[in-house]
Amino acid sequence: MTLPDPSQTARGTAASTSTPASAPLQPIEMRDVELTRGSRTVLSGLSLDVKAGEIYALLGGNGAGKSTTLSALLGFLTPTSGLIRVCGYDPAAEADAARRRTAYLPENVALYDLLTAHENIAYFMALAGAEPERAAIDAALDAAGLQREARDRRVSGYSKGMRQKVAIAMAVLRDVPVLLLDEPTSGLDPRATADFNALLGGLKARGTAILMVTHDLLGAADCADRIGFLAEGRIIEEVHPGEGIDVLALHHRYGERSAA
Amino acid sequence: MSLLRQELRLFLRQRIALPALLLMLVLSAASVAVGLAEIARQHDVIARIQPKQAQDEGTVAAWAGKEGDAGNAAYYTFHATWDTPSPMAFVALGQRDVAPFVLRVRALALEGQIHENETYNAELALPGRFDWAFVLTYLAPLLLIALLHDLFSSEREAGRAVLLAVMARSQRSLWLRRIALRAGLLLLALLVPFVVGAAVSGTPGSQAALVGAIAAAYLLLWTLVCLAVSRWRQSSLANAASLASAWLAITLVLPGLALLAINSAIPVQQGIELTLAQREAVHAGWDKPKAATMQAFLRDHPEWKDKAAFAGGFHWKWYYAFQHLGDRAVDSKVAAYRAGLEARDAWTRRTGWILPSVGLQVAIHRLAQTDLAAQIAYQDRIRAFHAALRRFYYPYIFSETPFREADFAKAPRWRG
Repeated sequence: MTLPDPSQTARGTAASTSTPASAPLQPIEMRDVELTRGSRTVLSGLSLDVKAGEIYALLGGNGAGKSTTLSALLGFLTPTSGLIRVCGYDPAAEADAARRRTAYLPENVALYDLLTAHENIAYFMALAGAEPERAAIDAALDAAGLQREARDRRVSGYSKGMRQKVAIAMAVLRDVPVLLLDEPTSGLDPRATADFNALLGGLKARGTAILMVTHDLLGAADCADRIGFLAEGRIIEEVHPGEGIDVLALHHRYGERSAA
Repeated sequence: MSLLRQELRLFLRQRIALPALLLMLVLSAASVAVGLAEIARQHDVIARIQPKQAQDEGTVAAWAGKEGDAGNAAYYTFHATWDTPSPMAFVALGQRDVAPFVLRVRALALEGQIHENETYNAELALPGRFDWAFVLTYLAPLLLIALLHDLFSSEREAGRAVLLAVMARSQRSLWLRRIALRAGLLLLALLVPFVVGAAVSGTPGSQAALVGAIAAAYLLLWTLVCLAVSRWRQSSLANAASLASAWLAITLVLPGLALLAINSAIPVQQGIELTLAQREAVHAGWDKPKAATMQAFLRDHPEWKDKAAFAGGFHWKWYYAFQHLGDRAVDSKVAAYRAGLEARDAWTRRTGWILPSVGLQVAIHRLAQTDLAAQIAYQDRIRAFHAALRRFYYPYIFSETPFREADFAKAPRWRG
């Protein structure tokens, strides 16, 4: 699987704008983030950062704060204290600027059923301020692995996996510095998962900082540079799969923590 | 492809979009057609009455002219008056539905002649005419609600809200564009038939533009209502129910209650009661001493004091004197009736500052010159014309000058 030529994607055109002069270089930075929802503390001193060209997998049980972390990075939730920066921008206060540098792949990709895959991508890209050529969209869909014969059909008949591929193609086309993924492989078959991981590798090579929220430890171990375990609103352990970790032991520990 | 065109494509593919826009276009076109047809009918009636009037006058002149009796001539000659519709009347038929736009008057007591026509076409007062103002006031907001009630909620319910928020460079532009597209296309569907109707009827461009601006302001107000309800973050169904309730309250219930309150607070006699009161006064004139009648008449018309004398039991001088006094007898009632109607109208206009549907109706009917003020203005013109008729006939009657066939042509003519 190969990624389309970056010159045909959005980075360097509409989606690419300069970061503040004083901004830290880290695409994703969270420092001692506290966040409460109602009376419940969801994030409690969470600190993590993701460098350019790095894949970070965030694992945790239900209610550990994974989705809240993504929502905070997207600017939908404001932390009670601590610091969150996306390419130097505070997503809560400078949502438009931060989101302009962020691609997001939700767990359940909802597209416009009345539009085709091509039309959906063209529309969402236009919203983002880019007007990719049809060839560029096709290249992104090739990279995402969506069958050619399906591309001009309305997406109302698409499977979850096919919708996800459309969203992945959008993320590829946007070519922004930050990619946030929410359970990205949950709807994909093993082959599509492998293709997806390869695609992430390509984006990583391009310098994209990728933060992935997932339950899939094996998949994370396969593609992530770092895996952070989230419990009670903070990272309680961080491992580097590249350093020869024991995934089975990790699975046991992760299982215990998830149940905790 | 520009973003606007992409939004347009997305919008038009929605199940409700094209049917709603087409329905708006059809309703607007139908109401304009109904309005134009009704106004054309009224023009036709007015055009037909003029040769009929000449024919009728010729018949009276043929025999009354031979006798040369001015009293007969004044008594038997009806004089046609008519209220020519304004070019914009097709938009809002208003009082033209229920009040006469043609009235033939004689030089007798006038107020009864004006008010005995009050019940003309009364059945139309119940449902009101299906005109463009009705479509704008009542139906356009409903279709706007259909297009806007799920603007935000449908995205939330479909799970696209987050993706949209992340992808859109500007949230404000995204939603403004969508709102403008929906409301703008609906306004276009509403205005295109109106513009065609305005061109056909010869409405001045500035007036047509003003109506267009009023319609746009009214739809903007409903757009704001839709957005306010949408901000409550309810489901699409709950939004639709809330907005339908708001529509019912704003366009029907509250104006109805306001009308009831105004009518209860400002009681106004029926016009037909004026007619009866005047007729009783006139008929009483037969039984009053002639000298007293003539004395009362001469207080108003001292210019005839040297010509007021007559002999015998009946004389036209006396007859027209008590006809005149019949009008004077109901002066205070007529003034109260008019003041009551004007007070109700003033309160209706004040209500229009609070209730947009009432304000819209008031504004459109004023521009179309089909409101109460226009009806009263027509009555005032009839009174002025009637006064001219009396001034024309009195010299013949009081000086006992023969009224010949040629004199009929000298009578005042109504200027439509």
